[in-house]
Amino acid sequence: MVAPLIPLEQIPEAWNNVFAVLLGMGFGFTLESSGFSSSRKIMGTFFGYDFVVLKVFFTAAITAMIGIFYFDYMGWMDASLLYINPYYVYSAILGGLIMGFGFSLGGFCPGTSFCGVAIGKIDALVFSLGLFLGILLFSELYGLFEGIYNSHFMGGSKIYDLIGMKEAVFGALLIFVAIGMFFGATWIEKKVDKVIY
Amino acid sequence: MNRNYIVLVVIAIGLAIGILLMDNTKRNNEIDPETLAVNYNDPSRFLSIDEVTDRLVRKDPGMLLIDVRPAEQYKLFAIPGAINIPIDSLLTSSTLDLMSMVEMDKVLYSNSGATSDQAWLLMERLDMPAVFVMEGGINNWFKNIVQATEPSESAPQEEFDVYSFRLAANQYFYGSSDKPKSAEIKVVKKAPVVRKAPAPESGGGC
Repeated sequence: MVAPLIPLEQIPEAWNNVFAVLLGMGFGFTLESSGFSSSRKIMGTFFGYDFVVLKVFFTAAITAMIGIFYFDYMGWMDASLLYINPYYVYSAILGGLIMGFGFSLGGFCPGTSFCGVAIGKIDALVFSLGLFLGILLFSELYGLFEGIYNSHFMGGSKIYDLIGMKEAVFGALLIFVAIGMFFGATWIEKKVDKVIY
Repeated sequence: MNRNYIVLVVIAIGLAIGILLMDNTKRNNEIDPETLAVNYNDPSRFLSIDEVTDRLVRKDPGMLLIDVRPAEQYKLFAIPGAINIPIDSLLTSSTLDLMSMVEMDKVLYSNSGATSDQAWLLMERLDMPAVFVMEGGINNWFKNIVQATEPSESAPQEEFDVYSFRLAANQYFYGSSDKPKSAEIKVVKKAPVVRKAPAPESGGGC
């Protein structure tokens, strides 16, 4: 964390947690001030009255992607050295289903639930307790899940390699998809009845 | 539709077209981190002060001694024969031209070695050939060359050899020292004239 200052020992390792807390507080503050601590706002994506979550995450993704493309092109960074999360096919699908189910049922994702707890929301508190219960159950029953958890490992694979597309074409397409999604989402928002929350 | 949205969409489309037009040539010419780590841990990147001094005394044209400290510190005191390139101007194009010379050993030093280590990392990442760090920096040089101390009497012969080399190097750079080792010079006093008592005239006795 806080690379490259800590790995190069410009800042002692012990500061890691201090930075983690400060960055976490900043992240939480931004989430809360943008209204992400409200489960109704988050649920808007599923009911079609508020697509802000989808827009925020899509914007973050394409901003980072454009940045990496251009920084790599200018020689400021080497994109081939980036760490890519390893891809376990079944884990990703199952985890995605469970996460999505919990997300739509409770109206929070882990980060926003802690935001909700911080401002004293009872539903967020219950959601967070459930989260810890889930962690405990998973840890205790790890032996049962281990086979599925580690199956179909595909390493740090990239989506454009898997579908055999050129990197630049995929990047440009994703930007066009994002633009289309923004207008589509706004169009749906207008069609759906406003929900006051 | 909101005008801001149109501007943002135009920017996004422009960036997307830019991505499509990029060629795939690699512009980042840094060495890979694993090689960097291996080279960093290789002790042969250090040159001892005696080695550097020896090459300075021999006026070795294949070595360039570079002081990476700020200019003010360089003016205050520097190793004779060193040139000053502060660490913040290492990446200028003229310096990089100098650093990329294969036939020249570039030896970096700073006060203790921390700044020269950083400078070495910068140069190594850019794959500059034959860059070294003088071990211990100018502090070590000052302690062992300028203020060379005599080893104890029971020290092995090699230490005495090193000491005499350092002493000679010191005299080479700074001439013979101003003050002689023994500060007091005894003024030889005029030898007292011993006046002998006049020999008694011989005169009998018996």
